[in-house]
Amino acid sequence: MLELEHAGDGKVIMIGRLDAAQARKAQEFLDGIDHPRELDCAGLEYISSAGLGILLRTQKRVMAKGGGLRLVNVSNHIRDVFRYSGFDKIFDIVSVADSGQ
Amino acid sequence: MRAVFKRSLASLDDVFAFTEKFFAGEEVDGKHLYAINLVLEELFSNMVKFNEAGPDTVSVEMLRQDGMVRVQLSDREPEPFDVTTPRPLDIDAPLERREESGMGLFLVQKFVDALDYTYRNGTSTITFLKRLD
Repeated sequence: MLELEHAGDGKVIMIGRLDAAQARKAQEFLDGIDHPRELDCAGLEYISSAGLGILLRTQKRVMAKGGGLRLVNVSNHIRDVFRYSGFDKIFDIVSVADSGQ
Repeated sequence: MRAVFKRSLASLDDVFAFTEKFFAGEEVDGKHLYAINLVLEELFSNMVKFNEAGPDTVSVEMLRQDGMVRVQLSDREPEPFDVTTPRPLDIDAPLERREESGMGLFLVQKFVDALDYTYRNGTSTITFLKRLD
């Protein structure tokens, strides 16, 4: 299951699993926010390539408007997925360890 | 341990529950759970997306042997689909050249220790190994 919450000012909180079954829900949620700027991944347990596709599409939309999406509180497992897929080169990523949590 | 899953992305919760049950039963260290679930999801969801006309279910078998977890997925399909040769992914490409799809099998390669594909008599069998060290 995946829960998403818009905490205001473009900050989105993701809790649960962003897998292929939840991808559409996540895409629709993010598409509904004009200027997402930060995804808080503290409660995100898992992401697969389907979730990566959602983040990539959202980043393209945001950067086309001059913004950028920051991924914060990223766990070690998810950081590995981001690194293997090259997301560390196209996103500003702050891991759990970096944020001191 | 073996199970069959309905050919639907909605089955993923059941697939993950199957993995967790296997890990608990075989006392496999939970640090390997993410990798096995990720690989399993990528392979299973490919079967869902690219073999829509296939049988209602996909078979998954998981066993622990020689310090490894061995996972096998079997599916009936009209044409072979070799998952061991994904198209290249340029992870250094700038954002505008990155595609939103095509990352799944690339990630599979990163998380397995061995990956094998066979196609015989209309059945695709994918086997992957994950070392437990």
